[in-house]
Amino acid sequence: MAAEMRFAKSHEWIRPEADGLATVGISSYAVEALTDLVFMQLPAVGKKVKAGESIGEIESVKAVSDLYAPVSGEVVAVNTALPGQLETLGKDPYNAGWIVKIKPDDPAEMAGLLDRTAYEALVKSQSH
Amino acid sequence: MAAPVIHVWCDDPADGPTNMAADEVLAGESLRRNALLVRLYCWETTTISLGAFQKHEDALAAAEIEGLPLVRRPSGGGAIVHGSDLTYAAAVPKTHPWGSSPQALYDALHEALVRSLAGCGVDATLWRPSQPVSVHANDESFFCFDRRASGDVIFRPAHTAEPASSAAQAGRGHKIMGSAQRRLEGAVLQHGSLLLRRNTDVGGRAAHPGIADLAVAELVGAAALPGTGQLVDHWLALLAAESRADVVRESGVFRVLRSHEVAEQAARFREPRWTARR
Repeated sequence: MAAEMRFAKSHEWIRPEADGLATVGISSYAVEALTDLVFMQLPAVGKKVKAGESIGEIESVKAVSDLYAPVSGEVVAVNTALPGQLETLGKDPYNAGWIVKIKPDDPAEMAGLLDRTAYEALVKSQSH
Repeated sequence: MAAPVIHVWCDDPADGPTNMAADEVLAGESLRRNALLVRLYCWETTTISLGAFQKHEDALAAAEIEGLPLVRRPSGGGAIVHGSDLTYAAAVPKTHPWGSSPQALYDALHEALVRSLAGCGVDATLWRPSQPVSVHANDESFFCFDRRASGDVIFRPAHTAEPASSAAQAGRGHKIMGSAQRRLEGAVLQHGSLLLRRNTDVGGRAAHPGIADLAVAELVGAAALPGTGQLVDHWLALLAAESRADVVRESGVFRVLRSHEVAEQAARFREPRWTARR
């Protein structure tokens, strides 16, 4: 888990990149909690999203969950290989398991998300 | 401090879009009340509900259900033939101990059901895979009751007079209840279906046996089979005991009490675009 990552309470992570984009995925905790993943729907490139809006859905054997945009911006890339290789989310959720890249409207919006320590505390509280 | 409360509504029959809309409204209500809410209901007519990710073309290709009304659930899982089942929707905030993970709510409701069935003389158990299951959406059976997920309620097949289905022959038993969830931003909506008897409006692979079909007369005579009311009462009592909560049976019909919101949401579920979204 890289230190510069930020996390949404809905368990998405976001990592600012050198090119001004931000990479988004879901945390290892979320992947483990969802259990056996079977299907994923990704947004279209070019989609404008607002923070907290659904950008896709993921289905496990028991549950369908929305994926939420941690920040507002435009989806500029999606990991199209992921729906066919959902096991990647479990094996490498913070790198090869990235879901979308967003061009943030306001990069400063990321500062309002949870840092690693706060997210780990959230996970701990939800695990009891 | 007052004990937590499980609020329960027993609604009268409605069509598919209305039922799905009422359940989504129920999920929002669980957040407002910060409590586990349960809505028990049935259907105006035999209706097929599709899981959120199922392909519409698969439903159209299933001759056994041709011509029956279709509705797409917000929750996952496989297709269910409603009409001879008891359907429930349970909604709980994610902050509730049963809302934190999919398996927690699944097991809590199913374990209580197994125990309530036992109290009525019906021998059932929770299905657990002997080894980790790896599945892909394309490999899944179309019907929910042909699928198996950890925690599904299985009728013990030892004394059944029912001819073994392919699932039973594979040692998986007859599934009599399955559930699936929609995990919303702050709440979890879980749909479940307890198959009471075989639905005579469908045939072939769609006509799964229910409790009444599976019970052997000399062990569980028809007269001893649980009435829905008795079974539900026992189930709710066990849920309350397990969560140290009080059960409040709400008067009125939930979908009527929240008729404006339900009507708004139902419009989406009636749209052919929603039903055929996959």
